[in-house]
Amino acid sequence: MSWRNELLAVWAVTLRNALMGARNVFFFFELLFWPIVGVLSIGLMSRFLELTEAQASFVLVGTIALSIVNVCQLEVAYAVLLDVWSKSLKHQFLAPIGIRHLTLGSWVVGMVRSLAVFVLLAALGRWAFGFHVLQPGWVALLTFLLGCFLTAWVVGVAVCALITLFGNRAEAFAWASVNLVLVLAGIYYPISVLPDFIAAIAKAIPLTYFLDAYRSHYGFESEFGAPIATGLALSLLYAALAHWAFLAAIQRARRTGLLLKMSE
Amino acid sequence: MLAIDARDVEKTFRSGWPRRRETHALRGVSLAVERGSIFGLLGPNGAGKTTLLSILATLLTPDRGTITVLGHDIVRDAALLRRRLNMASGRPSFLWSLRVGEIVAFYGRLYGLSGRALRARVDGLIEICELGPYRRVPYSDLSTGLKQRVALAKSLVNDPELLFLDEPTLGLDPDVSVRVRAHIARLRREQGITIVLTTHYMREADELCDEIAFIKGGQILARGTPGELKRQIRLGEVIALRLDPARVPWLAETPGVLRCVEVDGWVECTVDEAEKRLPDILRALHADGVVIRNVQVREPELEEVFVELAK
Repeated sequence: MSWRNELLAVWAVTLRNALMGARNVFFFFELLFWPIVGVLSIGLMSRFLELTEAQASFVLVGTIALSIVNVCQLEVAYAVLLDVWSKSLKHQFLAPIGIRHLTLGSWVVGMVRSLAVFVLLAALGRWAFGFHVLQPGWVALLTFLLGCFLTAWVVGVAVCALITLFGNRAEAFAWASVNLVLVLAGIYYPISVLPDFIAAIAKAIPLTYFLDAYRSHYGFESEFGAPIATGLALSLLYAALAHWAFLAAIQRARRTGLLLKMSE
Repeated sequence: MLAIDARDVEKTFRSGWPRRRETHALRGVSLAVERGSIFGLLGPNGAGKTTLLSILATLLTPDRGTITVLGHDIVRDAALLRRRLNMASGRPSFLWSLRVGEIVAFYGRLYGLSGRALRARVDGLIEICELGPYRRVPYSDLSTGLKQRVALAKSLVNDPELLFLDEPTLGLDPDVSVRVRAHIARLRREQGITIVLTTHYMREADELCDEIAFIKGGQILARGTPGELKRQIRLGEVIALRLDPARVPWLAETPGVLRCVEVDGWVECTVDEAEKRLPDILRALHADGVVIRNVQVREPELEEVFVELAK
């Protein structure tokens, strides 16, 4: 396949997801409602508990990261979910489309959507709680966002693999398991407060390192030696594993007939 | 030259836990389809038609057997083959919010079309499938017939050499079915596309197919041209008579007559050999003073062959 065809296939998925998103009013609701509720409730709680400016920034960074990852990973999962819900999965996989096109195309839309959420939450955080996302500088901010996007890609592809493996009845399980993983990443606390065995799991999650690196600019000493390099290395490893798992799940669905069943 | 050469294809589906259930969908199916022909797969529900079609279209992988499609191994070269074949289903489903033009364009891009070439292909297919007035209508707002036309347009977007049609006229109004059948025949005639279709409608198979295979319980029971199949099953030929008086009870006892039935004012006698028996029957009717108003001789309907095989 030529580069032109590769890019066209990715663009086809990007355009499809963007059109589907733009035509569903609930997608906008989902885009705005929970992230705003999250920042407002955490910000107000930090005010009630009289947290210092640095402590409030610590938890608000976590809330914003959670929103970015959730919005972006949901869009990546739409790579499969839109077709599962509309029962058009067999048409999709009859065409010369690879899972790289599906996931990358969806990821592009996910990044745009979650970037919009980030800008909104950053403005809200600044206006309501005096939280400044650019305090660590542009490079730190962009690295942090990249870390969130990569984590979302891994989580979204893992959800796609689980649904393709077990059918759409596995949807709830897929969401629950990935959200558990995110909560373990030290969203609202440093992982040093976790019991040892849970901290060990947290250390295996890339987002932990990106949060740690970004928070270090708000006066919290880094818990890791080279958090960004470690986070990137883990992200790439999990991205490769998630890609392989999704590919294996598709091949299994072709063998078991699940691909057809999910289209009926 | 063969478009499809399948040998001893087997497929078993396993489901249920902890007690596994096995469904043998295909049991050693062998099939050869000539390039440029229309091949029909007929059979009752659950016979294995859709499974076979899905395997040939690379949607499913076979458990056993070898399949060569357009000269390529179906498992090893699946990605390559997907560029050269396509499929339309009688129960189509696409993303509900996308409009007709967007659906065709989406699939066009997946096959490497862009810019003017994509616009021209989408315009052409929308015109061919008579979807012009519905181009900007969301898929969820279309009727069943229009959805099937969208599926047909999508299936032609890559100019396929091999087209699979799974129950292409299922649930369509008769006038729309006639137009879809005419379009299928035109595709083969004008573009030389090899078409494999499954159908429940005998008339459709009789009208369109160069060759037919009857499949039941995952096995091909008979195959051949519609004419060959009718002869192969030895159902005899039908002599239809319009008589006055309309009922002639002794006709069923005439030598060579297998059975007689009355249908819409016609007496239909199934005979072992029409050429040999017709003069005797006409002579006997004349001798009995029965007025013969009309006589037709025809082969048995494909439906009768199907009923016989499905028993």
